[in-house]
Amino acid sequence: MKIRINGIDCEAQPGEFILDVARRNNIYIPTLCHHDAFAGEARCRLCIVEVVERGRSRVVTSCVYPVAGEIEVATDTEKIRSLRKTLLMLLLARTPQNETIKKLAREYGVTEVARFESDPQEECILCNLCVRACEQLGAGAIYAVNRGVTKKVATLFEEPAEECIGCAACAAICPTGAIKVLEKEGKRIIWNREFEMVPCSNCGRPFATAEQLAFYRARLKVAPDRYGGDRLCENCRQKRAAELASLMSPARLR
Amino acid sequence: MKSEQAKRKILVCCGPGCLAVGGREILEGLRSRIAAAGLDATVEPVIKGTGCHGLCEQGPMVRFLPEDISYCRVSLPDLDEIVEQTVRQQKVVERLLLVDALTGRRVKSQGENSFYKKQLKIALRNTGEINPLNIDDYLERDGYRALAKVLFEMDPETVIAEVEKSGLRGRGGAGFPTGLKWRQCARVDNSPKYVICNADEGDPGAFMDRGIIEGDPHSVIEGMVIGAYAIKAHRGFVYIRDEYALAVKTMLEAIRQAEARSYLGRNILGSGFDFSLEVVRGGGAFVCGESTALMASIEGRVGEPRAKYIRSVERGLWDQPTVLNNVETWANIPPIILRGGEWFSSIGTAKSKGTKVFSLVGKVKNTGLVEVPMGITLRELIFDIGGGILNDRKFKAVQTGGPSGGCIPAEMLDLEVDFDSLTAADSMMGSGGMIVMDERTCMVDTARYYIDFLTEESCGKCSPCREGLKRMREILNDICSGAGLPGDIELLEEIGGMVRECSLCGLGKTAPNPVLSTIKHFREEYDEHVHRKRCPAGICRPLTTFVIDGEACTGCGLCRKNCPAEAISGEPKEPHVIDQSRCTKCGNCIELCRFNAITVK
Ligand SMILES: Cc1cc2nc3c(=O)[nH]c(=O)nc-3n(C[C@H](O)[C@H](O)[C@H](O)COP(=O)(O)O)c2cc1C
Ligand code: SF4
Repeated sequence: MKIRINGIDCEAQPGEFILDVARRNNIYIPTLCHHDAFAGEARCRLCIVEVVERGRSRVVTSCVYPVAGEIEVATDTEKIRSLRKTLLMLLLARTPQNETIKKLAREYGVTEVARFESDPQEECILCNLCVRACEQLGAGAIYAVNRGVTKKVATLFEEPAEECIGCAACAAICPTGAIKVLEKEGKRIIWNREFEMVPCSNCGRPFATAEQLAFYRARLKVAPDRYGGDRLCENCRQKRAAELASLMSPARLR
Repeated sequence: MKSEQAKRKILVCCGPGCLAVGGREILEGLRSRIAAAGLDATVEPVIKGTGCHGLCEQGPMVRFLPEDISYCRVSLPDLDEIVEQTVRQQKVVERLLLVDALTGRRVKSQGENSFYKKQLKIALRNTGEINPLNIDDYLERDGYRALAKVLFEMDPETVIAEVEKSGLRGRGGAGFPTGLKWRQCARVDNSPKYVICNADEGDPGAFMDRGIIEGDPHSVIEGMVIGAYAIKAHRGFVYIRDEYALAVKTMLEAIRQAEARSYLGRNILGSGFDFSLEVVRGGGAFVCGESTALMASIEGRVGEPRAKYIRSVERGLWDQPTVLNNVETWANIPPIILRGGEWFSSIGTAKSKGTKVFSLVGKVKNTGLVEVPMGITLRELIFDIGGGILNDRKFKAVQTGGPSGGCIPAEMLDLEVDFDSLTAADSMMGSGGMIVMDERTCMVDTARYYIDFLTEESCGKCSPCREGLKRMREILNDICSGAGLPGDIELLEEIGGMVRECSLCGLGKTAPNPVLSTIKHFREEYDEHVHRKRCPAGICRPLTTFVIDGEACTGCGLCRKNCPAEAISGEPKEPHVIDQSRCTKCGNCIELCRFNAITVK
């Protein structure tokens, strides 16, 4: 079926979310809590758009709004811009020093929020992506604790977490860079816990924590000595995969 | 003669309001005294623990049938006299009769009291009239006849059509047409399906749903079985707020009795239809009353809402088609089936049919649960049924719809109350809370109170509600403490408008109402606070100065004697003065003065 986004005809599957259709057609809609690996949760609500259906316009969240009929979508109307502006003003009041939020807010004409007191250290906008990434990876070491205005992401009792494997997937997925990872001298510090890093057996660069490798091997049921006990960093693994691929390429096998 | 006496009943109200003032003790006391007085079996009246009679301000209430005598504010020392005079001799004890707040006269029966006159009881038809713990009482009053009619004379489609014809809209807040909801769910080709009763009632001070479950649980059960039959569901849940221990107990007992009589369970009344009902205790947060959060909570997940673009009639509990209705909605179903949708739709306004239960509280003379036809005016509700403003002060506003409702000003007293008129007035029906406010109410402080509650109750999932409420609360706190800045009112409007438009669930979407409606109707009061640092109602202490008008003051000394800060001085019969350096702005004096001599500067 066809929907129109900002006047452009776009092909869409019934049930597909507006945001996905828009992105496929290179139409920009700002988001913070969205990640392709996860279903939308409609938390940050920056992805609001106007939908006109049967002559009536309403504001919907595009990351979770499924296309059901022939609709007209507008992603950047004056109304939407003004709503996003107020929302970004509030987010900036929450995280006044965060570069991602500062940049987004600037795009909507907000540079400073003097009316409210803010915590200059705060950088988290509670998108929940880190919690979901951690759950997905199986470690489940961080949670959204408390409710409402006191909600925050933390380890259990805010102690260094036993379950944490130091994989830093949470930090990697964080849209604002709020989760701090410190790496130096073969050590990684994250969520107040220090991990020893394991060097790559090819290039020697420390690339993962011991806990992380043990966790993956256990999960994939790979014996520790498989692959000659090799522990390759991402870089070297890709290189080796490319070598293998070329060795096995149909041209050579013929 | 004997059989007539056997029908005599004494109904002791054990509704939430009366229990709080000793209803249970009165019940026990009457029981033991009647036994001890040797009023033997032939004259022994039946005593029943009944649900709410509605006039909570006057509790505990005791009613005698068939004479239809009602006593109010009954206390233990009255019991001997009651047993002797009324039970034995059928005489009226004058001093215990209800005083009609409107006429000031004592009236013998409830029907003569203006509090009851304008009421029309459909959802509350049995509440206060029957013993909720005895299914026979319910059966005596046409109980489960609608169910039998549905099971043996109607197919699911006809049931849905009847409910549609009635025009019934959901009583839990949003006012969604109930018949349409059922039809949408019936249409979905997917099973199992579920029905749920929402008895979370998280609004502070609300007790209508609790009143129905504690007073007439079977009407809810009967409604649910009928709904389940209509959509072909075989399992249902009653989600009851955790604090409602008595409601939980009453519902469990009612379910047990209904099962024993084959109104629930397998092969109901031999019809071949199966339906089982379970009680689930609520998650304890206001937001758990929201439909998607409620279902998450039943599933054992965190009670957080989700986006509702795919509705619960398609994908609800455990992703299966689900019909969720409010307690009062369910309780309306049996009469609609028995008396017909047309009858129901003949009551009310063009788009809001039937009656609505309100909990009338605040500064009115009569408080309690009232059930009135849709379309009744606020004036009738507050002045005729409510008996007017306490201490005959001036009416200022009425807050409707629970914490996220709005405040409606005196100019709109003739508003005909229904779903749409309240929404148009920037408030809402909500679950039917109605808090009456007099001139000693500061509208900014009122908005602050509700925003504070809602900020605490926001689940924090989505950013507009979480961040917006937090900042609105800060601004309101500033305004009330004298730190309001120019531009604050406009900022409240900007944030409020965004939160209303962008929030994920109904909590956030309605949360700005208390602020936006008070700004709309009482903007000058905000201006006074922000720009002139003055609280005209004399409530916000940092912005209040009380002064005594020397002309009006008679020097009676009442304020001086009652000032906890000893800030008032003056000779008897001479005008008094307030020492501003000592005054704590508690407002005692202005409350007490009988000559209106104390004013807010
Ligand atoms: C924050 C919030 C709290 C709610 N609390 C209740 C409640 O306590 N009881 C209730 O019946 N409905 C409550 N609702 C409304 C429900 O989401 C739902 O609309 C209703 O139960 C549907 O039943 P009805 O159509 O019979 O009204 C609440 C909604 C919101 C947004
Ligand atoms: S609107 Fe408020 S209560 Fe509702 S999901 Fe968002 S944060 Fe939670």
